[in-house]
Amino acid sequence: MFFHIVLERNMQLHPRYFGRNLRDNLVSKLMKDVEGTCSGRHGFVVAITGIENIGKGLIRDGTGFVTFPVKYQCVVFRPFKGEILEAVVTMVNKMGFFAEAGPVQIFVSNHLIPDDMEFQSGDMPNYTTSDGSVKIQKDSEVRLKIIGTRVDATEIFCIGTIKDDFLGVINDPATA
Amino acid sequence: MSLVTDSPVHSSSSDDFAAFLDAELDSKSSDSSPNEEGAKGEFDSDSSDSSTNEEAENDSDTENQRIKRSRVEKLENIEDPKRSTSNGSLEQNLGASSSKDACIHPGSFGDMCILCGQKLNEETGVTFGYIHKGLRLGNDEIMRLRNTDVKNLLCHKKLYLVLDLDHTLLNSTQLMHMTLEEEYLKSQIDSLQDVSNGSLFMLDFMHMMTKLRPFVRTFLKEASQMFEMYIYTMGDRAYALEMAKLLDPRREYFNARVISRDDGTQRNQKGLDIVLGQESAVLILDDTETAWTKHKDNLILMERYHFFASSCHQFGFNCKSLSELKSDESDSDGALASVLKVLRKIHHMFFDELVDNLDGRDVRQVLKTVRKDVLKGCKIVFSRVFPTQFQAENHHLWKMAEQLGATCSRELDPSVTHVVSQEAGTEKSRWALKNKKFLVHPRWIEAANYLWQRQPEENFCVNQPKNQ
Repeated sequence: MFFHIVLERNMQLHPRYFGRNLRDNLVSKLMKDVEGTCSGRHGFVVAITGIENIGKGLIRDGTGFVTFPVKYQCVVFRPFKGEILEAVVTMVNKMGFFAEAGPVQIFVSNHLIPDDMEFQSGDMPNYTTSDGSVKIQKDSEVRLKIIGTRVDATEIFCIGTIKDDFLGVINDPATA
Repeated sequence: MSLVTDSPVHSSSSDDFAAFLDAELDSKSSDSSPNEEGAKGEFDSDSSDSSTNEEAENDSDTENQRIKRSRVEKLENIEDPKRSTSNGSLEQNLGASSSKDACIHPGSFGDMCILCGQKLNEETGVTFGYIHKGLRLGNDEIMRLRNTDVKNLLCHKKLYLVLDLDHTLLNSTQLMHMTLEEEYLKSQIDSLQDVSNGSLFMLDFMHMMTKLRPFVRTFLKEASQMFEMYIYTMGDRAYALEMAKLLDPRREYFNARVISRDDGTQRNQKGLDIVLGQESAVLILDDTETAWTKHKDNLILMERYHFFASSCHQFGFNCKSLSELKSDESDSDGALASVLKVLRKIHHMFFDELVDNLDGRDVRQVLKTVRKDVLKGCKIVFSRVFPTQFQAENHHLWKMAEQLGATCSRELDPSVTHVVSQEAGTEKSRWALKNKKFLVHPRWIEAANYLWQRQPEENFCVNQPKNQ
């Protein structure tokens, strides 16, 4: 799920960036530092949408670096147990398949794939129904339900299932 | 309000983030609290309490409302059996009791059960880091996967093949270990842009030069028709993946089945425990017998491929390397070509000649049978090969000859076909010459062992002693 929240960060800036463009420099450095990272508490920072407020800079003794407390609005993404997500399949094997929803890695074990879907090996491994109408392979888009999440300081792992109503393939790359 | 009740945040239970968010959304929708509060809280783990307290001070009505609403939701959840994981403690107990009995936690991904999503504390089972980071499977699950997989594979007329990298499929050297005579190679390297045709590559970022064994492309292509292939190397993960890229640029052969030293369960040993294939259907191609102590019956030993000088020195050969001689193994008649023939034969025997049902077949038996054909009908006598005090039956050449289907004997008699000797001057050697029997060097047996074919005896003549 996405959230629009306000976060704060202390930015250290080298004196060479001081001047007319100080604010711009600060913002671009903030984007570079923060966007795409993951924190266990908030999830992944997808994008910075605005700056709330930049506090007073504090000069570090000895180095000349200045620390600015910056409050910024950003969009974060964090999966939750029970959430329905759409994800792209990245790897299919006999144990199940791995999928990605943005930066989140989701594993769907073959216990949690409907029983009528069987694993087919080959150079393009996939799970297929007996009549061949539905196929899950690499790059397929699936709708799945998160049944477990574990949030580390830098990573988020998820367990998903497609063994439920209205879950499964939503777009097949082979037929698209 | 309605947003909150419908939102899945609620069903994610115990999560402090969710709890906080709930409180936060609540306060915003009801009394439009200033933004700073949101910033101050910042989803702190204890902020759900602190912010509710703040709210209580702000507006006690909101707080009451919130509690009321969550009570209502608890009731709703109980009525809905599908939402096994949710908010209220009562509901959670219900869900847990039903799933705990059922779930045996067959494996874990990022320390969560792959079946029920529960967090698991103790680490059990075998790590399958080569498939995906954080994936572990229990023994029962491995058994289950192997059983279903092997049936599937046999239906497709395929077996498993585990391939070693160094000295089997290719040869690598550190750039700094290259000799002066090898410098010319640097002008002959193939482009890394189009890997599929080249065979000599310089990997600058790994400070390495790699030479693929001649015939390897054809070998992989043909073998992939008969086998599901794994790479299993004693090199580290980064190296293994780089080599897989060279061997399989289109990723059609190995997929994610690249196992490296980092994934093994035992130091300096390779094991089939992390290969998801039934042992009775696995063949191994490796140049180091000692790495596979537990799975010798599955192993097809390869003649080592030494292209670079450093690799020769490493194994104690003082001769010129192939690179220094500016030559290479034969493309159509080298070790890989001959082993491919053996693989074809085994595959054919396994699927087309055995009569018992598919499940009961064992590729190890087939391997033995094929090996026994190599020197069939030969009766061998050894002369001055073993040390005098040595128990002849225990010598590796004796064993090797027997595995290859030859009969070994200590005494000379008319049925003997070959005398194996280091020198021509011994009594038995002279007997062989007189009776027109083959007199061959011990290397004849070793060559037959590597090439899976009885070699022409005239290529393995025994040198006449110098004093004659």
